[in-house]
Amino acid sequence: MSSQHLSDEAVAAFADGVLTGHARERATKHAAVCSECADAVAVQREAVLALRSAAAPAVPSGLLDRLKSLPDTTPVSGVPATLGPDGSPMFAAFGTLTSAALDAPQPRSRRGMPFALAATAVVALGAVAVGSATASGTHRQPPAGTGVAPAGVTGGSGSSFVEPVRLTRIGLR
Amino acid sequence: MTVETTNEVSQWAAPSWDEVVRQHADRVYRLAYRLSGNKADAEDLTQETFVRVFRSLADYTPGTFEGWLHRITTNLFLDLVRRRQRIRFDALPEDAGDRLASSESGPEQAYDEMHLDPEIQQALDALPADFRVAVVLCDLEQLSYEEIAATLGIKVGTVRSRIHRGRVLLREALAHRAPGTPVGRSHAGSEAGA
Repeated sequence: MSSQHLSDEAVAAFADGVLTGHARERATKHAAVCSECADAVAVQREAVLALRSAAAPAVPSGLLDRLKSLPDTTPVSGVPATLGPDGSPMFAAFGTLTSAALDAPQPRSRRGMPFALAATAVVALGAVAVGSATASGTHRQPPAGTGVAPAGVTGGSGSSFVEPVRLTRIGLR
Repeated sequence: MTVETTNEVSQWAAPSWDEVVRQHADRVYRLAYRLSGNKADAEDLTQETFVRVFRSLADYTPGTFEGWLHRITTNLFLDLVRRRQRIRFDALPEDAGDRLASSESGPEQAYDEMHLDPEIQQALDALPADFRVAVVLCDLEQLSYEEIAATLGIKVGTVRSRIHRGRVLLREALAHRAPGTPVGRSHAGSEAGA
């Protein structure tokens, strides 16, 4: 054998095809001559295939109904901090707008009421401000198709509170 | 700020709660089921996840909604595991899932039994919780190592090694399903991190 065995971490990453550059090159060469490591990679892939062969369970309809009626049964501690330009409620997630002032009781929400995921709107506002301030670079596209794309907030007025916002993507690849 | 993005922004409309539930319930329930291995816990975890989503939007920090849901569900599950480890008499009977699950869940029960491979779920259930979480997030939810690391608050190297170990254990548990494949060979080399 011409080189050291692959580490466990490298075996997993190689099996997943996410090694790059030199690490990938080395793993490819080594696995070609080391049956032990090649087997270890195969085991990883077989485990993944076995897992993915199992179909996903469906949400029980009773549970789905309970989830949909949560607004009728769940007390809410926070209320919208402010209203967006389009009159929709906005939640403040950070910065000078905090939830501290939001402990007033909220009328019970009704199912189907517009549900402003406006924390994202605040993020979008931050992104707008950052984008216009720096004109390039750090801004990333807001996540699309997630159901929580930024709200109807465009740049300009009312963005003085904004500090640079790091948009961390924790989405699906 | 590009023009396209501005348009995208202005076209967005707040989803209703119904839409939020419809869009995300399947994924949350699937994750909860894969992690907990039974219907009753999966339902509880799913419901609690959505309760937290509903209550704590004010605390929502930047990131995608899916990432947030993954974090909530996964952490609720790990809390559950820890709580049960503390309470020693946690031994639920085998049929706990059937017994405790909502009585109105209807025909899905039969669907589950038909479509869920019990061997695979059992193999998954047998994994230590930390390994199971890593494997489920990686191989079933298809999150990247970095996303899993962020979800669990651990290092990427730790994620990789948990995934590796979890898969090895899974493959051993399922060895009889693919005869002829070498399994269980101890893979000792671990120094040459690629």
